[in-house]
Amino acid sequence: MDILKEMILPCVYSFIASIAFGVQFNIRFRHMLAAGIGAALTQLIFTGFEMSGLGQMICYFFAASAVSVYAELMARRLHVPVNMYLVIGIIPLVPGGNMYNTMISLVGGDIDSFSHLFAEAVGIAGSIAMGVFAVSAIMRLIRMITKQAV
Amino acid sequence: MEITAKELLYITSRIGSMLITCGAEIYRVEDSLYRIAAAYGFSGGEKRIEVFAIPASLIITVNDGDSPPLTQTVRISARGTNLDRVDKLNNLSRYICAETPEIREIRKHIDEINGRKVYGGTVRLFSYGIVGAVFSLFFGGTCSDALFSGIISMIVFGVSKFVNKVKPSVFFQSLIGSVIIASLSVFVSKLGLTESFDKIIIGASMNLVPGVTLTNCMRDFIAGDFLAGMYTLTEAILVALGMAVGAASAIALVSMI
Repeated sequence: MDILKEMILPCVYSFIASIAFGVQFNIRFRHMLAAGIGAALTQLIFTGFEMSGLGQMICYFFAASAVSVYAELMARRLHVPVNMYLVIGIIPLVPGGNMYNTMISLVGGDIDSFSHLFAEAVGIAGSIAMGVFAVSAIMRLIRMITKQAV
Repeated sequence: MEITAKELLYITSRIGSMLITCGAEIYRVEDSLYRIAAAYGFSGGEKRIEVFAIPASLIITVNDGDSPPLTQTVRISARGTNLDRVDKLNNLSRYICAETPEIREIRKHIDEINGRKVYGGTVRLFSYGIVGAVFSLFFGGTCSDALFSGIISMIVFGVSKFVNKVKPSVFFQSLIGSVIIASLSVFVSKLGLTESFDKIIIGASMNLVPGVTLTNCMRDFIAGDFLAGMYTLTEAILVALGMAVGAASAIALVSMI
């Protein structure tokens, strides 16, 4: 029961929410399922890493790298830009709730928790971006090597 | 296929500005335009093209070696995310690089992409509702929290569609959105329909919160587009500030009633 509540339910929520975001980002219907599965996968991987007791930022980094690999592979197969699956896939990770809490604490005058939460939000966004970038750099390298070999 | 500098300027500025408007990454925009120019022989030396893009504007200079260089700037005022169009524009630029077609044909393709359908109002309305409801559950809200969060998100969508007609800045858009969210949420919990209001607010705010913008700005920074990164970072912070000011003042005012 516990594992259902902590691992499976967030994945289901991420799946539904990312499909709804897909509508807002104008993704065609046939790409939605794959994008939603990507988001659910991200959430699953993130919870897995988090449970294993790794640091928070490194969890975000690994989860973002995983979703980048997924997006690169899907984009390759379906001939669409990587960004299409990436933007949807990172939705469970992006620091939305964090940003909200940051600003609420700023307006409330609680500077201590504001600076803490703000650094955390920027750190999370940076970790995600680095995960995405590391994978895309490696992929570009692989593509260059395989092209030269042929 | 030969092409004049003027024609190249026309197609690159149109494709580039459409890419930025639809939310493509800045370094990808510049890269695509350089590739298109190279396909027509403007690849360096005397015949070359210079592109500078930030989220607010696009500057292209074409130099064909004989006549004085031609420059065009495009000011981009409204941006959104339309990944379908980015996909089709990418296909188009790949096609241009491979086939170097005539300008008339490219223009036809661009118009075709411009006319592609976007999701209608009702579908978007429900997508806002679903995002609100699901994120309220995600952050640990109850079912009634989720229900109200979904309804409030839909109301925000309707109102913002109306407000956007006067073209407010991003700060005021998020301010108005979060004032509605916070005051309705506090009102609902005052009526005793839910236990607390913060889970409703956080769920419904997810439609406005600039999480994706913040992540994109970090990606711009890492790619080396510092100006574009600063622009998006400022936007993300202003949107978040607007939300915070709106939510905090609305909570304070409605709680007093």
